[in-house]
Amino acid sequence: MKKGILKIAIIGLVGLSQTVAAEPFTDEDINNSFYPYNDWTPTADGYTPGEVIDQSNVDQFQEIFDEALFKFVKDGWVTIRTAPTTDFPLSKDYVEATRKYTADVSLAENGTLNNFVAGRAFPQEPRADDPNAGQKLVWNYQYGFNSGDSETISPFWWTFRNVKTGKVERQLKFEWHFMNYSHRVTFDPRPAFEDNPGGIYRGIYGIVKEPFDLANTQILIHRYEDGTKRDNAWLYVGFQRRVRRLAAGQITDSFLGSDLMVEDFEGYNGKVTDYTWEYAGTRNILMPFINHSEMELSNFPENDPDGYKFIDVEGQGNCFPKVTYQLRKSYTLIGRPKNPNHPIGKRVINLDAQTMVMSSLVTYDRKGDMWKWFPITKANADDHLPINKGKGVPVEDFAVVIDIQANHCTTLQFKSQITDEANQPKLFSVQNLRKAGR
Amino acid sequence: MVNLKRTSHLTAMQCVLVCLVATLVFAPKGYAQDTEFRGFLENATFVRAHGVGLSKSRTTLQLELSRAFNSTGLFSEVSVSGIFRGSYDAVYDLNDDTFGKNSGRAVSFPAPGNPALFGILATGNPATPPFPPSTNPVYAGVFPPPTANGAIPLPGVPGGNIGTNNPNVGMGLLGEDVHNFEHGGLVLAYPTRPCNIDSRGCINGYMDDSLNELRYAEFNDKLDFIRELYLDATIAYDNGRELGFRIGRQQVVWGRTDLFRVLDVINPVDFSRHNIFDELEDIRIPMGILNVEYRMGAVGGFEDLNFQGIWKFENFRPNNLGQGGEPYAILGAGNFFRAMNNCWENGCTAWNFPATGFAVEFPKNAIGIRQANKPGADDYGFRLEGVLKGVGFSLNVLRYTSQMPVLRGGINADNPFTPQTESQFYPYNIAFDIDFPRLTMVGGSADFYSDTLLSAFRVEVSYTSGEEFPNTLRERLFSESDVVRWVIGIDRPTFIPFLNKRRAFLLSLQVFGQHLLDHELQNVNAQGVPTLSPVGMVDWKNNYIMTFLFQGNYMNDRLTPQILTAYDFGANSGVVSPSVDWKINNSWRLTAAINLKFGDGARVFDDDRAANIFPPYTCAPPLAAAGSPLCGVSYSSLGMAGNEPLGRFRAGPFGMAINEDEYQLTLRYRF
Repeated sequence: MKKGILKIAIIGLVGLSQTVAAEPFTDEDINNSFYPYNDWTPTADGYTPGEVIDQSNVDQFQEIFDEALFKFVKDGWVTIRTAPTTDFPLSKDYVEATRKYTADVSLAENGTLNNFVAGRAFPQEPRADDPNAGQKLVWNYQYGFNSGDSETISPFWWTFRNVKTGKVERQLKFEWHFMNYSHRVTFDPRPAFEDNPGGIYRGIYGIVKEPFDLANTQILIHRYEDGTKRDNAWLYVGFQRRVRRLAAGQITDSFLGSDLMVEDFEGYNGKVTDYTWEYAGTRNILMPFINHSEMELSNFPENDPDGYKFIDVEGQGNCFPKVTYQLRKSYTLIGRPKNPNHPIGKRVINLDAQTMVMSSLVTYDRKGDMWKWFPITKANADDHLPINKGKGVPVEDFAVVIDIQANHCTTLQFKSQITDEANQPKLFSVQNLRKAGR
Repeated sequence: MVNLKRTSHLTAMQCVLVCLVATLVFAPKGYAQDTEFRGFLENATFVRAHGVGLSKSRTTLQLELSRAFNSTGLFSEVSVSGIFRGSYDAVYDLNDDTFGKNSGRAVSFPAPGNPALFGILATGNPATPPFPPSTNPVYAGVFPPPTANGAIPLPGVPGGNIGTNNPNVGMGLLGEDVHNFEHGGLVLAYPTRPCNIDSRGCINGYMDDSLNELRYAEFNDKLDFIRELYLDATIAYDNGRELGFRIGRQQVVWGRTDLFRVLDVINPVDFSRHNIFDELEDIRIPMGILNVEYRMGAVGGFEDLNFQGIWKFENFRPNNLGQGGEPYAILGAGNFFRAMNNCWENGCTAWNFPATGFAVEFPKNAIGIRQANKPGADDYGFRLEGVLKGVGFSLNVLRYTSQMPVLRGGINADNPFTPQTESQFYPYNIAFDIDFPRLTMVGGSADFYSDTLLSAFRVEVSYTSGEEFPNTLRERLFSESDVVRWVIGIDRPTFIPFLNKRRAFLLSLQVFGQHLLDHELQNVNAQGVPTLSPVGMVDWKNNYIMTFLFQGNYMNDRLTPQILTAYDFGANSGVVSPSVDWKINNSWRLTAAINLKFGDGARVFDDDRAANIFPPYTCAPPLAAAGSPLCGVSYSSLGMAGNEPLGRFRAGPFGMAINEDEYQLTLRYRF
């Protein structure tokens, strides 16, 4: 810890006047950040784990709901079952990387990070009086451990539904892969691949398996270490049999007709510097954090050959996960696009304080009307597929994007695997799109 | 031209296909992993305007199978994949009087000048023909009397008429679907019926499909129902690099652009399915190819770098341009070839020859197309492809055989003005063989994204040597020209809030350029005589085609309206095709489209009538009257022009389809 303080002092002395130096952190900061539930359990007035909250009693619990979920319960769209708060410890490697590297991290004037290697960039508790608290939080979130170093989601079912009728309009079956080229903490090579001339931070690769008209369509996204640099993206179009460069800057467009913008992926998928970020407080809210095996599971959309079962759906339009919610400490992060023509007015991101993953996102349009709700159900890695045990990654299990204004939703059912078996740089190459295509 | 080497290749190709089918279907479970299977059943029904009626009623069944195998020895990622397609186009039965066995008619040729012509030939005086010939003679009619309904035979026509093996049934006039003959250019007639019904004009091994081969397009001696069938395997190295193999019948796609084939020239294309308007995936003709890729990944400063080599070992196949009488015959080339082959094989009636308002009979072996010579050499090519500083690029080299036919004049022919059988070369004579020249193409491509413009750009350029083009200045009526082709494409997803607040529209613009570096076009003929119109190469020296796609999505992309337009600046013709694609659910899909052409349509060009091919008989009257010594020697065209036959190359694929406006409905069930 002292070493960290010394390094910060040296950075200040050499005159990096444009940077906002990281505050020194202590072991207590680390413990509070990564292990908040060791000796503390969040509470709320009148709330007892196991409480069933529906239209009749939701008003008394409004403070522990995000605004969208409160509205849905209030409108009778869904009933919330709750469960005790549980610990979601992140990988010890990630925590140790935080201890090892964070002392060098500073915030540049343009909002990007200096000297970030791995781990949580700012483990200190955010302060309301810190004008950079939002910027620090968004980096904790962006360089979080949402998918670990490397994740495969296969199958990954996207179901388009009519909220009013529940009618399934279209169903897409994907295989998705995520891999960090740098900031790696669990899978070798750590902390980064050496042969990375493009300066790629993260590769995202997806291939459509069904339906037939989209089968073999593949997408590849390269996100760069340079936080000011726009992603590069390519699409392999199955019926054209060739790779097409995508206009990666148009990220407010719907992805393949779903209710997700490209910018919505994982909560926020744009450049950090495209938004201004505000820390809007800490509170305890209900989040869909679960033990997978304890949920009512389903063979829908398909019987998995390994016997894996998916999180089921319920509620209005079958748009809601059939899961329990638990009360957890949350940081509210509000992002506002700098582009005045951006269709979004603001993103309200509720971050789980322990894992720094997004538990829910509520977006508002330019008029300030609520537009979309995007919660992600996270499963404890130790209660999921055997391959995920001990990985210390909050496993993505279910998500939905409800377009409140369009009365439409897209449910996402995951079979997530934290593995590097297939996720090597060659998978994230343009040539692989051609190889995997016909 | 088929030699033993090619025969052995065909046998090898058949063996490869049979072995792969056996592997795909019968592989033991111990070696095979899961099999993926899917397919679709589709009906495409198109109706053509201008009184044509049904132009397509094709029902297609397509099955796609893929089977992965366990790694063995050096090889991993071993799989066999196949696509099998069969179709039946009912247009040949439901509209058989237009496109099938009852198509065509007896044709005649308004020839008010024929009595005078007969007078000159018979008595030397146009006013005194021995008997009045028809001023509206029929094709291959009888001449001289008793019926005198034929055109005036040139002296080389044996027996005075050509009708014995060339009756006036099942015929159409070349270009009548495009133009109305007001230019008074040369016109020939072509047989329209499938080749098993009427073999006239069917070139052996090229454009000789029977009725069943037209109805059931994939069931032929090329085994086209095995559309694709190939084996994949990979050798993985410890350093992460890979050597990948794909062998079998396949499509190899080079390039980055839509519609245009600047670099994407490895597989020939079947334009007879729907001109240029079908997806290339559906109209490329898969070929037996060995495709080897060395995938290096990130190396040096390159984010990705790969080397590809290909060897096409299946017998050469040209583009399918659609034979005479088919609903889709791009440029009308199939009709022209069939008319010309019939002229060569059987003799023919030519309208507006030697000048407008006359009709004469040519003997066989005087003018026309003799045969198609299919080449024997294999195609091979290399590509270096990668990503450098975010820019995707490729460098391509291909040594290949042109899939587009060229007409090489200079074959030995008979003089139609004499009764003898000369069988000799006549400069400027429109007597051809169809050939497919060897070409060398070098080129490259790139794509990149501009965040400032929110647009993705793509560029392709190629330089091809060895290409041949029609050229009425040359004795053999063709010449070589190196060609530069390029295309620039821009994709910009753009929100148009008043049309759709939630989904961007795709605006995709492409401009294609073609430049003939050895172009010849002038206003004097090869001997320096001023011409009535430009003579030389009919293809434009520089031409540009633009395409624009405006595509939106509604109902979560289940409803996709779009407008596709294309415009050929040289031809001054284009197409606009609005369509709506409705994905009813995961299984059913309905597409409705209108395909409208606009612009000048048919174009005119020097038709070589005014060349002195058979001196002195074909000397231009003004020169003859002046006693020009040129009348005693061959000279090139003096530029009499018409729509046929070369105007089609100026009209281009849009202009030559100017009357092929269509209403199209396609219903597909996927499983």
